[in-house]
Amino acid sequence: MATPVIGRRVLRNEDARLLTGRALFVDDVQLPGMLHVAFLRSDFAHGRLKRLDVSAARARPGVVAVYESADLGDYSKPAPLLVNPPPIPGHVFHACTPLPLAKDKVRFVGEPMAMIVAESRYLAEDALRDCVADIEPIDAVIDLEAALAPGAPLVHEHLTSNAAAHVLQRKGNYQQARQAADLLVKRRFLYDRGVAAALENRAVVARWEPRAEELTIWDTTQAPIPIRNGLARMLGLLESQVQVIAPFVGGGFGPKIMMFYPEELLLPWASMQLRRPLKWAEDRQENFYATTQERGQVHDAEMALTRDGRVLGVHDVFLCDTGAYDPYGLTIPINSQCTLLGPYDIPNYESEFTSVFTNRPIVTPVRGAGRQHGVFVSERLLDIAAKELGIDLVEIRKRNLLGPDRFPHNHEIMFQDSAPLIYDSGNYLPTLEHAARAIGYDDFRRTEQARLRAEGKHVGIGIACYVEGTGIGPYEGARVTVEPSGKVRVATGVGTQGQGHFTVFAQVVAEVLGVAVEDVRVVTGDTREFHWGTGTFASRGAVVAGSACHAAAMSVRGKILDLASSVLRVAPDRLELAGGRVRVSGSDDAGIGLGELSGKANPLRGAVRPGTEPGLESTAYFGPDRGSTASGVHAIMVEVDPETAAVAIKRYLVVHDCGTMINPLLVEGQIHGGVAHGIGNAFYEQLVYDEQGQLLNASFMDYLLPTATDVPPIEAAHRETPSPFNALGLKGVGEAGCIPSGAVFAQAVEDALSGYGLEIREIPLSPNRLFELIERARRP
Amino acid sequence: MTVPLTLVVNGVRYDREVEPRLLLSDFLRQDLALTGTHVGCEHGVCGACTVLFDGEPARSCIMLAVQADGHEIQTVEALAGPNGELNPLQTAFRDAHGLQCGFCTPGILMTMTAFLRDNPAPNEAEIRDALSANLCRCTGYQHIVNAIKLAAGRRNTAGAVERAASR
Amino acid sequence: MTLGGTFTFAGPRPLVWDLLQDPAVLAKALPGTKTLTRTGDDKFEGTMKVSVGPVTAAEFAVTVTLENRVAPASFAMQIDGKGAIGFTRGTATVDLQEQPESATLMTYSADVLVGGRIAAVGQRLIESVAKMMIRQALDALNKELQSRVQGGA
Repeated sequence: MATPVIGRRVLRNEDARLLTGRALFVDDVQLPGMLHVAFLRSDFAHGRLKRLDVSAARARPGVVAVYESADLGDYSKPAPLLVNPPPIPGHVFHACTPLPLAKDKVRFVGEPMAMIVAESRYLAEDALRDCVADIEPIDAVIDLEAALAPGAPLVHEHLTSNAAAHVLQRKGNYQQARQAADLLVKRRFLYDRGVAAALENRAVVARWEPRAEELTIWDTTQAPIPIRNGLARMLGLLESQVQVIAPFVGGGFGPKIMMFYPEELLLPWASMQLRRPLKWAEDRQENFYATTQERGQVHDAEMALTRDGRVLGVHDVFLCDTGAYDPYGLTIPINSQCTLLGPYDIPNYESEFTSVFTNRPIVTPVRGAGRQHGVFVSERLLDIAAKELGIDLVEIRKRNLLGPDRFPHNHEIMFQDSAPLIYDSGNYLPTLEHAARAIGYDDFRRTEQARLRAEGKHVGIGIACYVEGTGIGPYEGARVTVEPSGKVRVATGVGTQGQGHFTVFAQVVAEVLGVAVEDVRVVTGDTREFHWGTGTFASRGAVVAGSACHAAAMSVRGKILDLASSVLRVAPDRLELAGGRVRVSGSDDAGIGLGELSGKANPLRGAVRPGTEPGLESTAYFGPDRGSTASGVHAIMVEVDPETAAVAIKRYLVVHDCGTMINPLLVEGQIHGGVAHGIGNAFYEQLVYDEQGQLLNASFMDYLLPTATDVPPIEAAHRETPSPFNALGLKGVGEAGCIPSGAVFAQAVEDALSGYGLEIREIPLSPNRLFELIERARRP
Repeated sequence: MTVPLTLVVNGVRYDREVEPRLLLSDFLRQDLALTGTHVGCEHGVCGACTVLFDGEPARSCIMLAVQADGHEIQTVEALAGPNGELNPLQTAFRDAHGLQCGFCTPGILMTMTAFLRDNPAPNEAEIRDALSANLCRCTGYQHIVNAIKLAAGRRNTAGAVERAASR
Repeated sequence: MTLGGTFTFAGPRPLVWDLLQDPAVLAKALPGTKTLTRTGDDKFEGTMKVSVGPVTAAEFAVTVTLENRVAPASFAMQIDGKGAIGFTRGTATVDLQEQPESATLMTYSADVLVGGRIAAVGQRLIESVAKMMIRQALDALNKELQSRVQGGA
């Protein structure tokens, strides 16, 4: 049998290209005759767009065209709704999607009003200054509660309020649970998030080739296939006339799977109008408005418990900010709703949310996609309850974890993929114990913390648990081909933004076919290569596309054994695949190389037998019924200076379970990156808007991303409860690192400052906010 | 309106006419088609555009091309061998999984090329301090730090082997 | 952004009042003003060139409408500025009190909204730039006032 490759820390196939600067990113694409695009964007968060005067821009030398909404004719339509709300009984949802260019009204700072096409980006940006926008300002709607108050200005005037959606999900009977409880803990929590801040901003290059009647689009998208399908339909082309290529993409993290952005819709259209290739490259300041982001939720939550800390139920009512439009449906708040339950046995649950339109950029998932908010609420409620009941923080969690005999566990409410929320497999107690042991929890509680305090050091520990629904459908596909050289080619539809797909998919196929990982060349993100599938999001790439690669490889393996059996005249069950060859098990015979075999499968003479195909190639699809549930525990040790509110992270450790790991080195990379992002969210990052919707920190000078001196070394340990939903037992891990960060930070900082009467109910913290909270607690 | 510009990039001399306001990053990427240098923020914070300017790290996104007149620039394309062989620093990055999406990587490689040249045996705190001028959103920095330690360690071992061999 | 303060002019109140309503004088005193003309009984229009931190100097079309004039003691202003790099809208009030020895104490306050690119990257600097501009303008006005007083105007 070939050396197992799945589970090994294999070095990445794609690194040589990236390290030498040879990898193609969208902004690297340069085409002859290419023109450059800049967008005129609204300076007002809310207003009536009375008139645009672009005449001076049109007259500027070097400007080729300027388009306003009226110039788009029939092409100006609201963008498609991307995610239908799951069929939750009684839900209300108002779909409001943007026009490609604003008409009559602007609803957030940065909303595009006109598109300028010029000989260079410099000239296009010069022409922006020639444009005059006559906007009559309307009071902006910013605060979530004020937005819902009667008399608030309406973001969408055809609606009767700024409520975009309302959903209520129930399990069991919370009111009864409440009556039976010994303790009720009720609090308001605020959880804010920010931009994804991928280092690569968005970019689109579109080329309409009028002679071939073909459209090629390079796009920094996480979903090339749906983009191709949608654009073909909107532009009146066949899908086969449109090719969308997502080459190397410099980080996705969610906003690059938002689809049919105005820029994606307009560049291909304009290229067809002008019969020239066009490029738009976003700059960083633009990214803060023009690319989607996540933002805040306000939760009023109550937990009912027995006096020994058993949770009887949770009731949560929350508001969530969806921004000026809601093309992504209810994914984020439903994730918050579902992920609040965590790894705990919560028999009664009532969760109700209202999604609110505001005059701010559109909200769509950013790494974690709303799970953070839910985890923060339940973990904080447990912490507060533990303190009131005099129960240790780890102990109260242990008492509520679902045991390993409770799987699959049906929570009876609906998840974002429209399937019931069912946890497939998990074993949470050993993970929690592992984390507690690794951070030295018992010793810390018994002696260490007090000893450090006596030395004047305020050190605290935080431990938080979470589960993460991953690997959801609908499906992905892959085609595996053995080439005459003996090397193997794999094509799949997902895009890649750094997760190592070129390597992990190669590992899966290499193991099945007995070839070297370096001899498997993976192609992703090109609709000409593979054109059925959805995209990279929701921690599903390895699970769903990886499983499709596995299925396709298994099918090719079957063909190999069949053909080799007749060539070598040996029964298939006596054959093995190793080192790129098929040989008889236990014999010294060289057998036959896969390349040579593939030649035999493609006869120049003779015919292919009916019911078979030439070559050693198969395409397979994988569509799980439901997602698989990953889980984990984060533990952090911090030291806080109560005078300056500076927080130093002494240790950060993660124990997590993503089922079978294809490549542990890459899994660690995902965890490290997620943790760094989580540290940013918990402490450094915040989008600061004023009351009129102006973003006051639209640059890296003032929106703080954690640097190498802010992120500590991260200790990661793995456990594996394989998923029963796919052959390899895989679960996703892309978002795990950043989900419990807020919860764990809050608990640790409170613990470090125990005795100061601090109760942290909001994220982000930041030194100045923490300073305020400490002062307020000291002098109520 | 254009002005003359003469500079050496990766050992090759270029004589051009450029607009005074052309950024050095755009000159490298568009005029010279050296797209390995990436632009992440265009306001000098993220470091993705870092090149070596007369051997010292500089942010090409906040420099004008004309400021490089008479100077020498090195970009990431200068690091690998003539047939694309990774240099020891690049090899260490691959071996330690010091990159994920790779967008910030060229800037980090250039910064670290100068750093390791001037600090051949750095400790972790020194590495993190030098690295703090480059933002990465994918890796959480840990594997990058490992890569730099690995590169420094290998160079010192290679140096020791060389010195031993030459005795 | 809210701004406010006081300033003592070295001259009598009626003269100060006149200076504050004279577009030619204001155009010279307020830094960055290219043009300022009276377009109505209580209205001024003009262009200014302002830069804030990293945002390059860009032109603003400014309209100031005077209200609630109680000569020579107080008035209010509606301010509207629009430019490629952003906009500003707000109100201000000015109060003048006679002081001993032919001086005038001015008390002013302003509540101004700033938006667009200037607000997004220049946030930390807007207030200090505004204060500096006001200080420079008041100093320049005071100099002009003193020269008129000395000239016996």
